[in-house]
Amino acid sequence: MEVVKARDLGIRFNVGKRRLISARSLVASGLRRIRDESEEFWALRHVNFTINRGDTVGIIGRNGSGKSTLLRVIGRIYPPDEGEVMVRGSVSTQFSLGAGFQAELSGVDNIYLNGILMGLSKKEIDGMLDDIIDFAGIGEFINMPVKTYSTGMHSRLGFAIAINVHRDIVLIDEILGVGDAEFYERCEKRLESLIGERTILLVSHNMESIKKFSNRVIWIDKGHIVTQGEPDDVIAQYLGS
Amino acid sequence: MTGWVKKVMFEQYKDIWQRRELLYYLVVSDLKAQHRNKVLGFLWNFLNPLLLMGTYIVLVVFIFDMGGPKFPVLLFCAILAWRWFTVSMERSVKSVTSKVSVVQTTRFPLAVLPLAMIMTGLVDYVAGFVILIPLLFIFDATWSVNVLWLPLLILVQLVGTIGASLICAVWGTYLSDWEDILQFVLRLWFYLSPILYSVSDRVPERYETVFWLNPFAALLESYKNILVRGEPPSEYMVVPAAMAVMVFLIGSWYFAREERKLVKAI
Repeated sequence: MEVVKARDLGIRFNVGKRRLISARSLVASGLRRIRDESEEFWALRHVNFTINRGDTVGIIGRNGSGKSTLLRVIGRIYPPDEGEVMVRGSVSTQFSLGAGFQAELSGVDNIYLNGILMGLSKKEIDGMLDDIIDFAGIGEFINMPVKTYSTGMHSRLGFAIAINVHRDIVLIDEILGVGDAEFYERCEKRLESLIGERTILLVSHNMESIKKFSNRVIWIDKGHIVTQGEPDDVIAQYLGS
Repeated sequence: MTGWVKKVMFEQYKDIWQRRELLYYLVVSDLKAQHRNKVLGFLWNFLNPLLLMGTYIVLVVFIFDMGGPKFPVLLFCAILAWRWFTVSMERSVKSVTSKVSVVQTTRFPLAVLPLAMIMTGLVDYVAGFVILIPLLFIFDATWSVNVLWLPLLILVQLVGTIGASLICAVWGTYLSDWEDILQFVLRLWFYLSPILYSVSDRVPERYETVFWLNPFAALLESYKNILVRGEPPSEYMVVPAAMAVMVFLIGSWYFAREERKLVKAI
């Protein structure tokens, strides 16, 4: 069954001197007009793809090619400016780790805040809490304010939330490179156990992990899909380019 | 018209209602985080308006030699309500941009961000009554059944503040200058509203009609009337009430229209 389908998808940004222009012509025209005057930039354009339930899709490409934008479209953050996109099911959108952390609050408080941001109820989180705390494995720190965390602990907690929250579609953006070797191994194991069970989109520059987990790969460059299909083929082409 | 109302009012607020747990958590975590680092902690919620009152008493009573016997409590009444409004506005301006990482990774009705600021402010406001009530006794306020108007006045202020804050949140996201502009607007507005004075004793008669066009004129005088003077709300309350509803409708519509564009503009 198709869970994500994009047809002629385009995402446009207004870049350039927006702020300067807006301050100057604020009086003359409405805020709306000003934004249209700024330069356009297509982060994605004419993008077509389909993802089936249970797929693990690797997304590769250079920095700034549009990979994260693509995840945001699937996470329903950006509505398409062109074309259409269909997403079926709930999405775990925590793809930049610990994005919603409130530094002054404890790890546990942040688990609740993040879960509720993702659309879970307090009850649902109650049920996952132990799994998340176990998985993060940061000991006593779970009750300390997040601002006292090291970068590694921060990522651990973020990943623990993202991976243990039960959603139909899981978006993972370059987060396999966090934490120490032991944690990395646990992440991989957890990810493996999810494969086939949930639909996973994996953005990474690590071709080894892409090869290991994906059954399909999409290569994006400058907002366009260069090619998509069998992981080995696409990765070989990408590395050869 | 009905389709429009349905889309803006019904659907938008239904979404927010469904995510009320999120709103609750944002408010609670805000309150928890607010004074966490400070030695006096939550006491600042009470100290803040008290110290502000003290400062203005020095200004008005000692420097300008004005203000009647009930001046401190009238001032405190007005400051509490005014602070709720200004703090909501100031914090709403940055409510979307300051949460950029969340906004760009999670789909939720963005209006909960400014709404959380207003609700946090409301909690502070209500907490302020812990100080206000003893002050009412100390300064010998006149009690009457008119106190029962209080929830209605709060509702009017809430509705208007929601509308204004939604507009502020959009402008603050598109235009970082708005934060600076707002500061001056609020400062001027403060002096034009009956906080350091009352309409009856400071405003020249020929300007009075114009003066009442400021929604805070009638609103603040009404707070003072029902709490301190034992009188009914100002007869001009219809001005803030009508404006609140209007601003609420405009703000809600505007925010709904811009919501998804905001995410890209950050």
